[in-house]
Amino acid sequence: MAIIEQPAGRLAPVTGGVGPLASYGAFRRPIESTGWRSWLFTVDHKVLGLLYGVTAFIFFLVGGIEAVLIRLQLAQPNGKVLSADAYNQMFTMHATTMVFLFVMPMAAGFANYFVPLQIGARDVAFPRINAFGYWCFLAGGLFLNTSWFLGGAADGGWFMYAPNSGTLFSPTHGVDFWAFGLQITGIASLTGAINLIVTILNMRAPGMSLMKMPIFTWMVLVVQFLLLFAVPVITVALFLLTFQRSFGATFFDVSAGADPLLWQHLFWIFGHPEVYILILPSFGIVSEVLPVFSRKPLFGYPMVVFSGAAIGFVGWGVWAHHMFASGLGPISVTVFSMSTMLIAIPTGVKIINWVMTMVGGKLRFTTAMLFAIGLIVEFTIGGLSGVTHAVAPSDTQQTDTYYIVAHFHYVLFGGAIFGIFSGFYYWWPKMFGRLLNEKLGKLNFWLMVIGMNLTFGPMHILGLQGQPRRMQRYAEDRVGEGFFNLTFWNQVSTVGALCLVVGISVFIWNVIVTARRPANAPLDPWDARSLEWMTTSPPKVHNFDAIPTVHALDEFFHRKYVENEQTGEMEHVATAEEIMREQEANAEQNIHLPSPSYWPIVLAFALPVIGYGIIYSKFLIAIGGAIVVASMFGWALEPSVADDSDLEPPSEGGSTKEIATVV
Amino acid sequence: MHHRLRRRALPFAALAAALLAGCATNAPQDFMKPEGPNAQNIDDLQRFPFYAAGVVGVLVMVAVVYVVWRYRDRGQPIPSQHHSGNLVEFLSIGGSAVLLAAIAVPSFRGIWDLAETDDCKMSVNVSGQQWWWEYAYPQQEGIERPIVTSGQLVIPTGECVLLRITSRDVIHSFWIPKLNGKKDAVPGRVHMLRMEADNPGMYLGQCTEFCGLSHANMKMDLVALRPDDFASWVSMQRVSATEIADVASTPAGRGQEVFENNCARCHQVSGLTDAKGNPQIPAADQSLVSGAAPNLTHLMSRNTFAGATYSLLNEDCRDALMALPPEQFGAKYLAGVDDGCLNVVELKEWLRNAPEKKPMYPDANEDGLGRGMPAMTSLPEGQIDDLVEYLKTLK
Repeated sequence: MAIIEQPAGRLAPVTGGVGPLASYGAFRRPIESTGWRSWLFTVDHKVLGLLYGVTAFIFFLVGGIEAVLIRLQLAQPNGKVLSADAYNQMFTMHATTMVFLFVMPMAAGFANYFVPLQIGARDVAFPRINAFGYWCFLAGGLFLNTSWFLGGAADGGWFMYAPNSGTLFSPTHGVDFWAFGLQITGIASLTGAINLIVTILNMRAPGMSLMKMPIFTWMVLVVQFLLLFAVPVITVALFLLTFQRSFGATFFDVSAGADPLLWQHLFWIFGHPEVYILILPSFGIVSEVLPVFSRKPLFGYPMVVFSGAAIGFVGWGVWAHHMFASGLGPISVTVFSMSTMLIAIPTGVKIINWVMTMVGGKLRFTTAMLFAIGLIVEFTIGGLSGVTHAVAPSDTQQTDTYYIVAHFHYVLFGGAIFGIFSGFYYWWPKMFGRLLNEKLGKLNFWLMVIGMNLTFGPMHILGLQGQPRRMQRYAEDRVGEGFFNLTFWNQVSTVGALCLVVGISVFIWNVIVTARRPANAPLDPWDARSLEWMTTSPPKVHNFDAIPTVHALDEFFHRKYVENEQTGEMEHVATAEEIMREQEANAEQNIHLPSPSYWPIVLAFALPVIGYGIIYSKFLIAIGGAIVVASMFGWALEPSVADDSDLEPPSEGGSTKEIATVV
Repeated sequence: MHHRLRRRALPFAALAAALLAGCATNAPQDFMKPEGPNAQNIDDLQRFPFYAAGVVGVLVMVAVVYVVWRYRDRGQPIPSQHHSGNLVEFLSIGGSAVLLAAIAVPSFRGIWDLAETDDCKMSVNVSGQQWWWEYAYPQQEGIERPIVTSGQLVIPTGECVLLRITSRDVIHSFWIPKLNGKKDAVPGRVHMLRMEADNPGMYLGQCTEFCGLSHANMKMDLVALRPDDFASWVSMQRVSATEIADVASTPAGRGQEVFENNCARCHQVSGLTDAKGNPQIPAADQSLVSGAAPNLTHLMSRNTFAGATYSLLNEDCRDALMALPPEQFGAKYLAGVDDGCLNVVELKEWLRNAPEKKPMYPDANEDGLGRGMPAMTSLPEGQIDDLVEYLKTLK
């Protein structure tokens, strides 16, 4: 779709006139590959990946500020930093932002950037839909956050249980913004899922069978299937909520005969697979990083793939463990308790495989590797506390206390976020041609390890000693006695949060410092193993001069090293530069690249117009709807190729520098 | 050898001691220190998973540290790219399956034991609403007339009391950590929860399902009394309040008038009559979304107010009550709140401006209904004093 073939030999940019394919269609396609227009109308998966990453990181900082305010409020009993109303908005938006606007899109960013590179493709299957997905994420995220300035953000918790989410109990528009904002970001996830599934299944390089596919791509594939089936469930739930709030429907209205547990089932049928949607991409990243810095293939690759898929399946059968106190009968509780324990097995398999990957290796402790090892340790703690609340009766004590907050922050911060930071350090030279400073990186790592354990470690104690979650304040008479009372542990946690602020600031400083240095990263700084390292850094706009033929898992490594049949030792037979030169020498002449398009961004930003319309005026719904229809026509009718695109195919066998700068 | 082992074990023992000492003492909601058979049942179940998780966690960490140290890059050649790991995979799957089965099987027993309802002699209807709990005792053996109270749920020790939990507005969750796990209060549904305390005393809890603005302030106390003390409590609760006939001459009498003019629209005090001599029946459903406000007939018999958010006892008296040995607790509790112990400062603050002490939404919505008690800032200070004097008579 929208992938064009440029005629062979057309080396120079065409500066005027009408191209051969542009003679039909009512709308022109944009041509710019530099300047601000190139960012708005791009369909390049790498540019979109960067946009996803940068936007998600900004939302990470927003969610982080919300978290710090929460911790400051809880630094003492009866805290005065936030009012009850502001606090409720804060923790609702902290979770919503971190889940939907940071971890999910950050994973989408990595997937967008690296999946095509890892499978030897030139772009994703549907580049315009890819762009549409990103703009939906941005539009939804901005729409959601404008609620802060329009009467207050959502205040019902990210789980938004009915009937507390109804207009009777939450009369501001916060929940309306929340419901429709997530609806828009959901479109991003859903279109992204379809796009990546088709890309991974159809566009792998010759020779790359599924079991020779890099593990990150595998985990992304599993996640996209989870999204494909989970997002529709939340979409339905959010529509029910919007209809209840805005159009007088009674889906969760008890007085009209509804059962509010319906919302809980819908939310958690989405919500539990969502947990794996958040964590599996990071599992994929560390499964790439550990082998590279151990100089060994991933231990038990088929088992890691299989356990990822198994988590993907069993993840659908555990949702009611969020509802053990909701009044389900003992039969349901027993069944869901059993399935919850079952899912610990494939997770445990992964941890053992990661440790075994390092056994017998030649370990280099780069920052990327440190974050990966950190993930193993911190995620294990979170996983084990998870097993303790798979025991349903224990869970009725632990649920909705800080013990749970501790658990899922070890899983999400120690798991998902450590994986993401590992990915930053590992792939930074690939994306920008610059190595992040390792000294600052190690400082960043240790501050984050110490910070997260200080922040979330004490929450185990707080929870077991009875401090519930979502409390705007805690009374002094319930903190217990002694020096180590609950106030003390709350203070430790707040100090830990500030330590995390410093740690993340060091990362930002590292990015700034690095950006000021020349782009002189070596072609293959880590002695890496997979295809994304078989191109320039940053990659050329068309990714590969010649699509490599794959013979093995870890193809790139096996092109560099060959086992000596007599001694069994690995012998270095080719450098990355030699492999690169060989590829350039065999550069393909017919490169397929999609043209930019105006319509993805227009279509995406029509959606919040509808959202504001639902809240404020039916007139706006009509305008937004009209833009949606118009841009769909534009999308369908625009020519499949820009008539004067200045995108260049690679020059014959020569330098590719100019093309690289086009990005 | 033994000596060396002991020396190595020492830091671990010190660490374990530090961790144990690292917890607050007497945290009132600490569910690791159960005080009734149901919570004990749960605690017995949760100990093994905690220890097992601890051991596995330490093993993984030791393994990681060892591997990281042992296989660090010391210039060794690039290792072989082959693995033969089937045994490890089978062992890890088998091992974790066995461990999980050892955790799972007893827990299933616990699920069914805790769902049992047939063996409870007494039952109490518990209704949550924003942001307090009402406890209604239906007529049953030992309770000849229904009792409606709030703030403190009173039960006899040594027997199972079945709570029938529901909600009048949003979802809440009932939790007395030292006695049992949580159970959600869902509008339109009734959920059962077993309650049993071994010893007399006050057991603190709070709402654990996010229920809106004042979720953090929605607390509950459970008071357990010896069966004979419980019988006395029941007989005290049956008595209506004495209406003061002369409303002009005493502060309490004037306070009663203030109460009838400002509070009786929502709050019940049984015994009060209107001008025609008929019992005053509050119509809270005309002012409140939940349709209910706490019954205040025996306010001074319980020692909390504002939906158990605040103590009616001043700090010293409350500490003294909480510190009493179980055998002396009942008599002291039944004595109620006397003048010297009344937390009069906070009670007055509450009467003047309730939404400031506990965030609420008392303003009427488009249906004319609010959520919570309005501020009574228009009342002159003298009337607040009188009102307090009147409330003191509600023993």
